[in-house]
Amino acid sequence: MAYNLPEIYQATLPGGMRLLGVEYDRAPWLSLTFMTKRGAETDPVDKPGVADWTAELLTLGTERRSQLQLAEDIESKGASLDAKSGWDATLLNLEGLAEDFSELMDTMAEVVQTPSFPEDEFPLLQQRRQAELVHQQDDPREMANLRYLRLFFGDSPYGHAVQGDLHTLDHLGLADLQNFYRREFSPATATLVVVGMRTFARVQEEAARVWGSWQGQGPASPPYAATPENLGAPGIYLLDRPDLTQSEIRVGHLGLPRTHADYFPLKLVNYILGGGGFSSRLMTRIRSDLGFTYGIRSSFSFRRAPGPFTVSTFTPADNTAQVVREIQAVVTEVHRNGVTAQELAEAQSYYVGHFPLGLETSRGIARQVLSIDLFDLGTDYLKNYCEQVRKVDLKSAAAAARDHLYPDQLVTLVMGPASRCAESLQDLGPLKILEEI
Amino acid sequence: MTPSRKYDPAAWQPEIVMERFTLANGLTLFVLPDHRLPIVSLQIHYKVGSRYELPGITGISHLFEHLMFRGTATMGPEEFSRLLQSKGGEINAFTTRDHTSYFENLPTEHLQLGLQLEADRLLNLKLDDENFQPERQVVISERKLRAVDSPFGLVEEQLFATAYTQHPYNWPVVGWDQDLHRLTLDDCLAYYRSHYHPGKITIIIAGDVEPEQARKLVEQYFGQISAPPAAPEPKVVEPPQRGERRAVVKKVSQVEALVAGFHIVGLDHPDLYPLDLLSVILSGGKASRFHQEFVRPGKAIALEVELPPLPFSAQDPDLLAITAVATPGQPLPKLEQELWASLERFQQEGVTSGELARAKKLLRSQAVRSLSHNFFRGLLVGLLHLKTGDAGLANRILSSIEAVTTDDIHRVARTYLKEDNRTVVVLKPVSPEESEALGPLV
Repeated sequence: MAYNLPEIYQATLPGGMRLLGVEYDRAPWLSLTFMTKRGAETDPVDKPGVADWTAELLTLGTERRSQLQLAEDIESKGASLDAKSGWDATLLNLEGLAEDFSELMDTMAEVVQTPSFPEDEFPLLQQRRQAELVHQQDDPREMANLRYLRLFFGDSPYGHAVQGDLHTLDHLGLADLQNFYRREFSPATATLVVVGMRTFARVQEEAARVWGSWQGQGPASPPYAATPENLGAPGIYLLDRPDLTQSEIRVGHLGLPRTHADYFPLKLVNYILGGGGFSSRLMTRIRSDLGFTYGIRSSFSFRRAPGPFTVSTFTPADNTAQVVREIQAVVTEVHRNGVTAQELAEAQSYYVGHFPLGLETSRGIARQVLSIDLFDLGTDYLKNYCEQVRKVDLKSAAAAARDHLYPDQLVTLVMGPASRCAESLQDLGPLKILEEI
Repeated sequence: MTPSRKYDPAAWQPEIVMERFTLANGLTLFVLPDHRLPIVSLQIHYKVGSRYELPGITGISHLFEHLMFRGTATMGPEEFSRLLQSKGGEINAFTTRDHTSYFENLPTEHLQLGLQLEADRLLNLKLDDENFQPERQVVISERKLRAVDSPFGLVEEQLFATAYTQHPYNWPVVGWDQDLHRLTLDDCLAYYRSHYHPGKITIIIAGDVEPEQARKLVEQYFGQISAPPAAPEPKVVEPPQRGERRAVVKKVSQVEALVAGFHIVGLDHPDLYPLDLLSVILSGGKASRFHQEFVRPGKAIALEVELPPLPFSAQDPDLLAITAVATPGQPLPKLEQELWASLERFQQEGVTSGELARAKKLLRSQAVRSLSHNFFRGLLVGLLHLKTGDAGLANRILSSIEAVTTDDIHRVARTYLKEDNRTVVVLKPVSPEESEALGPLV
């Protein structure tokens, strides 16, 4: 398979900000992403949502343009602007047609450098967020995800909801958002990623024009990379939701940071355990053999600090205890005995064969470049990727499974109708009934 | 192409190059070559979806899609997916009202394997009780996920069940719960024989492949499969609606909401383009009318016009749906009243040229972006051919959007967004106790 890997160009702009670019020729498209490497993990314990709300507020007015004017100008170019925080980073993404390159570059710089923090928009933002959080309670999968993080991480930085919390909404003020912006938005922590139908020389020239004099303020919060303490105790927890017909199930424990040396072996082990769809053991056992669920997957959420390892699924409530038992058995088996040579070879050939499919869209390329930059993986990462995958052998895969899966440390949350699953769950061990988390 | 031209947007051509072949057994093949990456999107579209079902066996098309992964005479359950995935492929399938589609996005070197396995499961599918029973349970779990436990799933089902009285768009693709329990293996075998043959297949191969080479491969694996005489297509016409219809769904919910549906046109009708633009003018983006009037000031959590984008538009006349979710604490009837008042102003005053230009550029940019993706280009050609018989539509979308005038928007707003043509389903929140008293959720 001979093809040209995209070259990741890099430069430092006069103001000190980092610029990464990929020239893209499949469509006259442009994907601009501004990233500051601080996100929701910096939210104060009593003020979850600060980072994410700040990102949205930046799109609601600049010194030059109102919310409506900005939206009209962007959308009349057929472009879209999206802003959000995640763990470890806050991203503003502006995408549009390559023919509007200069205007889009100008707009991104204006939004990041000269937000007006309009006082009339803040209460509207707060009101919208409150309504959205109320509505979110009707989504069982999302609620199970959020409740699980809370149960597992408690008050540590990855334990709250990125979008904010209904109980603490009133704690957030405009000043909190302005402070987050002043502190965390500066060239020292920021990167601009440009993937599009323009040469890098042209991108660099334009970026220097619009970003060259940006200073920002800072200093940024220290990057969070610690191992969290006071995690939720292993065991089975049940949150009663009498209105649901299926139970949402989350099972997991603490995982690894993205930069851990065992990243590749563990990625392959997880594919075999539950990341690889119909190729995975969890799907084979719980869906194909038993017909208990439409979907089940496991994932390691690799972040700057250790993120969670989680198995997620749902099942008609009467099956709940059986499904939890089966998950425990599959995780234990992989932990103890590793994976087979055939499974490993298939997982490796999946990742190597799939690699060029990730290079089709500008968004797909941008996502990889952002991750490379956020975790300092090096601009030659794509060139070495397939080699890293191929290098994993049975021994290193078995070691990764043994060292990083802990079947006796599992924290299990069931959110479902207690009347139909509590009794059978008690057969698996002590059951803690939760009123709320 | 020289490097400078390669990155020059003005030099880019949006036209999809396609070559069509028809095999003697009736199978249609389209090849869309693009050699920039060593990958292909292989798509097998069967002309069968829920519109081909009858009451009593609703959901059988979708259940059958699942059964196609359960193995053949020589392959075990899910081995199809495992084998192609291990070559780097993205493997999946989806069922709609009009078609069932299977796809494999693969490194080119494994295209032959993909075709071989697709032909194998068409000819040699293993249909027995051991495969059928667990898969039925999987689909029952999927129905609970998508319809019963999802915030608006039951409301949307009720909308179509109320708006369509005679046409099969009346029932959901996933099927009614009772039918999923009642279906038998024999029903599935009969369905397989009627609908899974070359006469109902459109194959798309988009990506790094030469048309003639692709044709030979398809001929090799599918050419010898026979097709029964063509059966007549079901042609049910939903009679015009003569007055507003309303329904209420009571469910545990934190919000009050409504979904309103207006009967519009099918995929082959030119009014679809002004209707697409109308939906962008009303709710596409943060400068749209509904965002500015309702969402930004906090009158509604969401107010969205929903019309499946090309090429996913339904073959027969569909519904243009408006979902309105009231902000907690604000009464839904007031929001509904304001919504209809806003639509009435829209019908009276029409749109500005600026609004239309914004909507056109948004649709154009979405189309341009999608064209970078082999998978999407393949869907565009395959689904337009399957639903209208005219794959060339794929290359006329941009000009059709461009040709729409403000008068067209005004006309379609007055023609379709009428009270008599409207079905409204209201989601009324109840407590868990009240919900239980209403009987089981299915």
